[in-house]
Amino acid sequence: MRIKVYYLVLCLIFWNISAFSQEQKMSGSEINAFKQSVNAVSKKIKTLSTDFVQYKHMDFLSKDIETSGKMYFKEPGLLSWQYKKPYNYAIIFKNGKILINDEGKKSSVDIGNSKVFAKLNKLIVGSVSGDMFDDNEFVISYFKTKDNNVTKFIPKDKTLKKYIKQIELTFSKEDATVTQVKLLESAEDYTRIVLKNKTVNGKIEDSIFNN
Amino acid sequence: MVRSKILFLIISFLLVTSLNSCGTNPIKQLNEVAVVNENRIAPYFLSKDIDYVYRANITVYGNDLSGIVVIKKINETMHRVVFTTEFGNKLLDFEISETTFKVNAIVDELNRKILVNTLKNDFRILLRKSYKIDKQFEEDKYQIGESKIGNRYDYLYFSKNGGELMRIIHASKRKEKLSISYTVESNIFANKIVIQHQNIKLRIELNYFNNQ
Repeated sequence: MRIKVYYLVLCLIFWNISAFSQEQKMSGSEINAFKQSVNAVSKKIKTLSTDFVQYKHMDFLSKDIETSGKMYFKEPGLLSWQYKKPYNYAIIFKNGKILINDEGKKSSVDIGNSKVFAKLNKLIVGSVSGDMFDDNEFVISYFKTKDNNVTKFIPKDKTLKKYIKQIELTFSKEDATVTQVKLLESAEDYTRIVLKNKTVNGKIEDSIFNN
Repeated sequence: MVRSKILFLIISFLLVTSLNSCGTNPIKQLNEVAVVNENRIAPYFLSKDIDYVYRANITVYGNDLSGIVVIKKINETMHRVVFTTEFGNKLLDFEISETTFKVNAIVDELNRKILVNTLKNDFRILLRKSYKIDKQFEEDKYQIGESKIGNRYDYLYFSKNGGELMRIIHASKRKEKLSISYTVESNIFANKIVIQHQNIKLRIELNYFNNQ
């Protein structure tokens, strides 16, 4: 009888584990097909605008910290990240500068030739457009779930690695675009950004990238 | 991404060493009255169930920094305090009680003793729960309790109207060192807190944001 109970408990535990780990590793051919489809889509992206909701998770909090707003990207490397709720805060990456507008208070930081910032900029743009498959920069692993493809990037650069342990991009299987960006500082501490209402190649005025 | 700016601010913080003390002890001119309540409570960070999430604007020697500050009471004596950027990158993470202080994580650019000690002192005052009142004073709008801790004095300003704690002034025998001003939503919750130093040009403004 006792053995039966143990068996039942074991079954329940393993059932739970398998229920939580829905991610499956992609095969080599699946990886190639997936990369091709993402590259084809991201190559066509000249502009991108999307709503986003950001969830900052820390284990000791009872609830994630939620902020939201709008993101604009325009080739070759203009990026505007605008928080609208619960406060107004915009950060623009433009020509080697970071422009900040904090509730109307404006400032700018020259990032000049900083390699780390260049990488960070590339990483942010790449994570939104999906163009991040650089094996020189990251150790990349590929997974699939029922509706999505998930890629995990571990930075090779030591400085970058200090700030971000891992980046997880979730791609919709439907259109091969990024639907979620997860930046992990540790297992207990991560930022999850959900992208929705995306518009690809719509007209975006240059003034969006002025402070 | 704002790290070079942070670094610049820290350097400014370290370089400017002219400590012009301009505050004077706040109760010099006031009338002393009998102590009514010997133990007073600073009520704004007492609940273990609340994530106290504030947007922080820090002005150091004329330079501005912003981010998010999270304060959580994790047991009877201890709070956890985390500073992050708007993007969520953790800048500083520490645990603090009246007698202990432990840094869980700090980015290299902020890892300066003077800065960490300043924040430790500020947050120890901000998060202290109870004060033993040694003397009491009165002015038009406030009842003021004086609490002596070591060679420092804390003056707690309670409004005469609602009894809320509106300000704490931390001072030496002669000079004001820093003040904490509260804009309160209720007598247990402050939606705006301003920590203003008198001897260094440092101001920390915290605005609660409703985390819905």
